[in-house]
Formats: sequence, C-alpha cells, structure tokens
Amino acid sequence: MAYEEPITDYDEIVENCTCAFCGCNCDDLDYLVKDGHVVGVRHACRLGASKIMEDMDQRLIVPMVRDDNGELKEVDWDTALDKAAEYIANSIRPVMYGWSETSTECMKEGLALGEYIGAVLDNQATICHGPSLQAVQNAGYPIQTLGEVQNRADVCVYSGSNAMNSHPRHLARYSVFCRGFFRSRGRFDRTVVTMDPKFTDTAKMSDKWIGFEQNGDYGFYNAIRAVLKGKELSQDVISGIPKEDIYELVEEMKNAEFGVLFFGLGLTHTLSKQRNIDIAIKMVQDLNKFSKWGLTPMRGHFNVNGFNIFMAFETGFPFGVDFARGYARYVLGETNTIDLLTRGEPDVFLVIAADPGAHFPNKANQHLAKIPVIQIDIHWGPSTELADVVLPGSFIGVECGGTSYRMDGVLIFMKKAIDKPETCRDDEWIVRELKERVMKLRKEPNVAPEYIPNPAAQ
Amino acid sequence: MKTITFKQKKTSSIALEFDELIPDEIYTWGESDFNKYEVPIGNSRFPLTDYFDIKVEGEAESPDEVKMIINGDLNRVKYIGCKMSGGEILCNSSVDLHVGAEMSGGTIIVDGNAAAHAGREMSGGYLEIKGNTKEFTGASYIGEWRGMTGGEIIVHGNAGKQCGECLSGGKITVLGNCDILAGIHMSKGVMEIQGDVNRWPGGQMKNGTIVINGKLGRLLEGFVFDEVVDNPDIEGKVYDGRFIKYTGDIGLNGKGTLLINADVNRDKLGEYGESDDEYTSIREYRNL
Repeated sequence: MAYEEPITDYDEIVENCTCAFCGCNCDDLDYLVKDGHVVGVRHACRLGASKIMEDMDQRLIVPMVRDDNGELKEVDWDTALDKAAEYIANSIRPVMYGWSETSTECMKEGLALGEYIGAVLDNQATICHGPSLQAVQNAGYPIQTLGEVQNRADVCVYSGSNAMNSHPRHLARYSVFCRGFFRSRGRFDRTVVTMDPKFTDTAKMSDKWIGFEQNGDYGFYNAIRAVLKGKELSQDVISGIPKEDIYELVEEMKNAEFGVLFFGLGLTHTLSKQRNIDIAIKMVQDLNKFSKWGLTPMRGHFNVNGFNIFMAFETGFPFGVDFARGYARYVLGETNTIDLLTRGEPDVFLVIAADPGAHFPNKANQHLAKIPVIQIDIHWGPSTELADVVLPGSFIGVECGGTSYRMDGVLIFMKKAIDKPETCRDDEWIVRELKERVMKLRKEPNVAPEYIPNPAAQ
Repeated sequence: MKTITFKQKKTSSIALEFDELIPDEIYTWGESDFNKYEVPIGNSRFPLTDYFDIKVEGEAESPDEVKMIINGDLNRVKYIGCKMSGGEILCNSSVDLHVGAEMSGGTIIVDGNAAAHAGREMSGGYLEIKGNTKEFTGASYIGEWRGMTGGEIIVHGNAGKQCGECLSGGKITVLGNCDILAGIHMSKGVMEIQGDVNRWPGGQMKNGTIVINGKLGRLLEGFVFDEVVDNPDIEGKVYDGRFIKYTGDIGLNGKGTLLINADVNRDKLGEYGESDDEYTSIREYRNL
C-alpha cells in the first residue's frame, strides 16, 4: 500500500461523527471539512472513509425523469414528484425496496405510504440476512451488545464471515484487538476461530481455522451439537473436518469464559439457509449450559438492522411485508422482492438507498427494465440506468442527521456534518412529499377491499 | 351435489388469490353470485368473470357436497383450497403457492406441479399432487413449530427443500426424490420417501418416522444406529425389505425414527462393523 500524506489542508474538524457504511456504525469518526466538503476522515476504515469522502462526479444533484426517447432529463422537483406519485397511485402491485442506507425517520414515512397504497415493503435483508431473521423467529435471539464483547469475550468465532474485508474495524473496535475491562491485554487475552471454507484474511489472523467444505455447515453444526450432548462421532470426517478437530473445538468452546459467534452471509446463504442459523442458535443455547455464549449477525449496511427492527416493531414482521390486502402479510418466497420480480408481478418499483441494478439476479433486473422504477439515492449507479424517475436524496450521517441501529440492535444517532447540495432534499422529506401527493391522487387507501364472508357459511 | 366448473378466459401476471373461493364459502353461490364476486389481485379486486367462465350445476347443502373443477393455466393462481374444511377441488393444471394450506378437510387433486408451501400447516383432508412440488411441502409458516398436524399429502413427483418441516401429524408420501432436510424439526407423523434423499433428513427431529426407500446422500451425526429390521410395520403399513434403523436427533434428545433401505444403502452399513463388535450382525449382513 502506497504511503499517503496526511491531510492538513482543511477548514474545520467535525468530531464524533458516525460512519454510514457497515453495520458496525463506528461513532468515533472525525471529519475534516474544507469548502463544505469532507476531504478527510480520521479513525475510519478505508471502506467507510471512501464512502464518506463522496465522489461528487457521481453525485445525483437534480431530479430527473426519463423522456419518450429513453433519456433522463433534468426537471424541477414538482414535476419529478408528481410523475412518481402518479406511477405509485395507479399501481396494482407496487414494491418499495431498499431503506437500509437511510434513516429510521424516513422509514416511518415509507411505512405510512406503503400501508396507504397496499405495497410490499422490503429491504436488503431479502438478499443477505433474511434467513437469520427467519431463524430468529423460530429459535430465539441469544444476542449481546458489542460493548459486552469488547469487555468480556475471550473466544470470538467468525463463521461464514470475512470481517477483515467486510467490516474492517469490527475486530479492532469491538471484538479481537481492542482492550476491554476483563480483557486488558486485548488480542493476547482472546482466542479467535474462523469457520469458513476459504482461507480468508480473517482466517489468516485467527488462532484456529475450521475450513469445512462448502455447503457442509448444517452437518458440521449438527456434529458439534451431538458432541455437546456427549455423543461419540461415528464418522471420521464430518463436512470435511476430522472428528478429532471437532472434539478439540468443542472443548475450547465449552471452556470459554465468554464466547461469541459472529456469522455472515457464508452461513446464511449456503445450502440450508435459515436452518443453518437455526442450528447455530441452538448450538449457542447448548453452549450456555457450560459457559456464557452469544451470537451476532454481521449486518452489512449501516441501517439494515434498523429497518428490520422498525418493521418488526410496527407490523410484527421484519422484512418483505405485503400490505396488498389491507393488513400485513409476510410469507417466505411470496412477499420478498426477488421472488416477486422473478415472477414478474410488480408493476411499479420504488428503490430508496439501494442498488438492485448492481445486486439483483438477471431475471429480476430484466423485469425492472420493463416497469416504472423510481429511484431515491445520492449516487449514480446501475439502478439509475433502470430508473424512470430519479430523486436525489441526502447522505445520512454526513449531509443530514438521523437514527440508525447497529448490528447488535443499539440505537445510534448520526449527526449532520456538512450541508447537502442546494438542489437535493432529505430522504424523509421526499418520501413524505410522495405520500402527500399520492394521497391527493387517491382519496381512499389503495388496498383490496375487505371480503364479507358468506353469511350462510357462518 | 354441486359441481362448479371454472374455465379460464385469460391469465394475469399478478397472482389471483383464491382463498375466498373455497367450498365452505361458495356452496350456496349460484352463477349470479360469481358474476358479482371480485377476486383479489395485488392491492385491488377485479371481477372474477374477467378471468374465468363459471358454470354451476346442481345444489349443495354443505361444503362437502361441492366439487370445484378449475381448468386453465393456474401458475398464477395461489391459495387454492386454503383453509377449506370439506368438498373437492380438482385443478387441471400446475398451481401456484399455498395450495391446500391450512386445510382441515376435503380433497384437492392437482394434475400438475405445485409451487412452494403446498399443504402448509394442514390439519386434515387429502392433497394429491401428480407432479413435483417446490419447497416447504406440508411445512410450517415462519416462526411456527407445528407444521402439518393431520391429513395426507401424496406427491407423485419430486419434493423440494424442507418437505415436511416441523411435521406434527399426518402422513406425507413422496413417490419421487426429496431435496435436503426432509422432515427437519419433525415431532410426529410419518414421512415416506420412495426415491432418493439428497442429504440430512430429519435434522433436529424430536419424534415421528421417516422411511427412505431410495438412496440416502448424507446422514447427520445426530442420528445413532439402532438396528437392522426386516419388513418394518409403521402405523399399519408394512415396508418390504431390510431397513437400517436410526434414532435421533440426539442434539435435541430426539426419539425420532429414521429407516433407510439397507439394500440400496449398503455403504451406510459399511460405516459400522469395521472395528466394533457391537455391529457384528450388520457386518454379517453385509458379507452375505
């Protein structure tokens, strides 16, 4: 890595800002501001810093509407909002997707709009930690805060997660290298185990690497549970791991003073999906008979957890909530964005603070290309190429304030550091405006009327 | 006996929801009632007669006297027979999600494939699918520990992932193959699989019986070898042949029974008896 000169040319330092990149929500950042722009970031990882020091060449500045020739044309806010409201008000199967990189206050407006027009509200959990949320509904949530991990944990297990690459400050700030009240020597007081088919960067810095075979997660965790119940393993090798290694690992886990299992998409999106997490939760519950153990999902976007907590609080369901019939419904494989798009159902798609054009499967994007797409975002991306209406929002935690939930469920306020571009609006304002304009076009909520049962059948 | 025949006029890209069109609701309906009825599609309702021609013949005093025949392409018609308690539904096509979900009685015959969630949480009745099914056949909804509690499901083709998840009663028969985690979290009832099973049947099962006549890919460590049994009798049905019997899942202190055909799965016999005298009988069997 080339040496970079420290940044000394700045006007002011804004202290104690919160990072708007990953689920760690590091809230100890200092922004170096010059001429109303962030020119440097102290304490952040390279991922967070590069996002915060945004590239103004790619910044969406003014609202745009796609014309008859298929070109995006700059328009005023009223024209863009009216066009978007018209699409939403006349839709039969609207989907409102994203929300993970915006504030919880904006979600509140989004929920009101979605409920009014009978939309499906979904977030990035549908392509990342959705299986974790389903498993939590079945098996419970033995979670702890990251503060507890920092102060107490002596065994940290990363399963299907390469935190060194995806959450670079996680190990430094919360789990491995940091010093805690009961772990005064930091890394020397902790044992790190990585369970991953790949020898990742996290595995390289671990004390132990369990490289079980791909898709072998469920069988491997089942074997651990069997050993915890006192069973002798009958097979010599389970999911690619010799049984002696499993006995050794189980002993280490049983003897932990405070153990934590961090799991990522390597666990949620292999063969058994939510059942992988289900059995991991059960394993943690089993381990609590011997020691103190907890687990935490390694959430990706800074407020992806916020949407799930907010929706679960408001509707009872964490993501993929369908209001089409006037009440909340949530069915795996039916009300999730990818399933809906690949089935070709949605007729309007509102994407806020997400980039489905970059992340969705080809078939889903093919359907997005056929229907009106409304984008609320700060950067030009593949989704902009699919969008029919583009509404430039603002950068939470940099250009405007808002609340978010860290990966362990701790609520964090993200303060404003600089002013947003004059022609941009807050996400919350945009969604509220859309709601009010849709309500003017539709005097009554647009949901399927309630069915009156056959009196003879009562 | 009342026969109601649905003949499709046009299809919809957004799924029609048929949960209100079950014998329990429509046994008193005449053609004029169907002409007035609007079916939920997305966030709206549209006249059913835009999509189907409906012919009603005969009279019915109760839902049991209703026979619904649905003709056409039903790949975008979901919740067929959902929560029905009596009568008969015959679908002459592949069907969409939730066919027979939460049904408590009556009969549904699908002359084609079924999408996911077929017969989820059904408590009674008979569901026959002449093609394949996708995921979660006879399973539970998310967050619920009790899946199917009664009745019978027969799948003539293959079944997708987690068939019989949280099975708590009744019987599921799959005449084809099964994908992973068949009978996961099962606590009661019987699952019979005539074909092969990919891997890990019965994960975290507490009770109940899974019979596998075909080849088993991988077995979980949570299952403990019990014995080799000849012609086992499971709830009155005798399965011909020799079966290896396992008990599990011990991770949950489970007492479920997993029977796999010994002739087809000779490699599984080979995992025992190599060094331990306890399994002499198996070794002898293997040497035969």
